[in-house]
Amino acid sequence: MATHPPDDIAIIGWHVSPMIRRTELTEAQMLLEVVNGATAHAGITNADVDFTCAGSCDYVAGQAFSFVQNIDAFGAWPPKRDSHVEMDGAWALYEAWVRLLVGDLDVALVTGSGRSSTADPDIVYPMEMDPYYLAPLGVDAMSFAALQARVLLDGGVVTERQMAEIAARCRRDARANPHAQVAGDFDVDALLAEDYVREPLRRHDLPPITDGACAVVIARADKARELCENPVWIRGLSHCAEIHYAGLRDLRQAESITRAAKAAGVGDAPVEVAELQTAFTHEEPLVAAALGLGADVVVNPSGGPLAANPIMATGLVRIAEAARQIRDEGRHRTLAHSTSGPCLQQNLVCVLEGE
Amino acid sequence: MTTTRSVEATIRFPYKRSLGPVMGAFMTALTEQRFLGIRSGERVLCPPREWDPDTAADLSADDLVEVGPAGTVESWTWVSSPSAAHPLDHPFAFALIRLDGADTALLHAVDVASPDALSTGMRVAPRWKAERVGHITDVEAFVPGEVPQGGGGAGAEEPVTMMDYDAAITYTTPVTRNEMRAEAANAEGRFLGLECPACARVYLGGRGFCPIDALELGPEHEVELSQRGTITNYTIIEPVQYPGQTETEPFARVHVLLDGSDVILGYQPVVEFPVGDVRIGARVAAVWNDTKVASGGGIELDGWIPTGEPDDTDPNLVNRIC
Ligand SMILES: [Zn+2]
Repeated sequence: MATHPPDDIAIIGWHVSPMIRRTELTEAQMLLEVVNGATAHAGITNADVDFTCAGSCDYVAGQAFSFVQNIDAFGAWPPKRDSHVEMDGAWALYEAWVRLLVGDLDVALVTGSGRSSTADPDIVYPMEMDPYYLAPLGVDAMSFAALQARVLLDGGVVTERQMAEIAARCRRDARANPHAQVAGDFDVDALLAEDYVREPLRRHDLPPITDGACAVVIARADKARELCENPVWIRGLSHCAEIHYAGLRDLRQAESITRAAKAAGVGDAPVEVAELQTAFTHEEPLVAAALGLGADVVVNPSGGPLAANPIMATGLVRIAEAARQIRDEGRHRTLAHSTSGPCLQQNLVCVLEGE
Repeated sequence: MTTTRSVEATIRFPYKRSLGPVMGAFMTALTEQRFLGIRSGERVLCPPREWDPDTAADLSADDLVEVGPAGTVESWTWVSSPSAAHPLDHPFAFALIRLDGADTALLHAVDVASPDALSTGMRVAPRWKAERVGHITDVEAFVPGEVPQGGGGAGAEEPVTMMDYDAAITYTTPVTRNEMRAEAANAEGRFLGLECPACARVYLGGRGFCPIDALELGPEHEVELSQRGTITNYTIIEPVQYPGQTETEPFARVHVLLDGSDVILGYQPVVEFPVGDVRIGARVAAVWNDTKVASGGGIELDGWIPTGEPDDTDPNLVNRIC
């Protein structure tokens, strides 16, 4: 085994909930399952967890400080250091990683959870946009994505056929993913014959609406070794944001992805698999290019967000899937990407390695 | 765990926002049927921002310049079934529109009959509302062509400094089986408890799990809770006559620790317990009424009445808040 400096931090366990259109569980109940699943996977108990950090959204939950109730699922006694981000759980993992780098705590539990069926996502999403110029127009996630898709189509970055091929590939790959909500064999010509939902986007270009949650356990090097035979090492982790208002950006580019990738060291060695939070088909070639991924990189073997898109957990699921590729599929170096905000505004890149 | 019921609630978000010198000037100009952009280095940004997006340098209201009113569509999407939050109630387009003289695009609606009328590069002009208040929706939508439509009347007499944003979201939340069983027990005049198999703490029925052990609780963990308890804390409320307030005299709300459990019922009303006598340590018992039973309803808790037992003098009672 290679030796790791004490500040190296590894993923030692994770759990992904069922991904369904409408769960009968509360958000805290969804979390209970993934928290206990992830700690069991890591071979620890709640008592071993020094720090918890959750990613969720009050506007999605329909309750102010909903994360305070969600803490009930963490077994937070004796009291634990806890934090929360109103972002995808991938950013909760980023905070937990930074927290463990301080050096005084060894084990952190990270969650992402979203119950999209609680309200209409097209009504919830605008609440989180620029309150002066965008929210009063009710601009929803699908419309933002469609505006960027047309820019990429007009710019020759992608074609509608390529977009349909991406959807067909993701749905085909998703057949092997027990957590997938949308999976199966689809004919590209048949997909292209369907009507637009938000021209130029058809149904297959869009993610499903998903209720789901994910939990990941990370630990500092010495503790990871003690608890786990095959830790998945976080080799690089960074995030970067650009201006919120999409009309002020060049939508053919995703500079924040490129910067985060550089900071995370994506180019330092070949990446075998990339799990990307590309919830819309046209985003995949843009994100892959911005990350500098070669054509040989396997993208979203889980089916990605087009197979299941649990808002506030989709990015953390990418990290869990990228870790799974190393632990269960024998890969050595994988990448996970998460995004937040309209038209890929903010992006997180996580590079993982096996021993 | 399955449910058979959900509750629906609509939450309104009626925000008032201050606009500051740059956006305030932009919104004021809208009332005058004009668009403002702002110089930022070599570029003119519209909508105007308060800082340079590349350098974060402050931008000054002195650098505002008039742009538009017509512009060019840089991207568009067709919204065939508008949401309640959208600006138009019939199918329309969202578009990124670069107004003449600006280097960036404004996102707004374009009102045409069908997507066949749309193309990248098409020319559009605003259709102004007749009554403008200094709000992004003072532009009802953009329409094809070079000539602004609608509008009329005068601009704002005073600079616009504030804007309203009034949103509403309807939420549908599941009622868990535990919550339904607890409600059913209440309707029979009982308090249901749930005892954690790991730590033996007893929680009020309805809770899904022990938060200490992160263990799921269900019907097999149910216990009957006492109808008696001790006041651990209280507050006396001087009623403010807001709409819906039925109290006119000062009244008490008490926290009750139920005997033989860790359960505290918060913010409970009291019965035949003068406000001046309410105190920590007082022994109380539940009072139920069955007035709704005849009409098919359940038994309801009226509140808590003093039992006359000696007070509990444990000084730590007040530390129990939940
Ligand atoms: Zn317990």
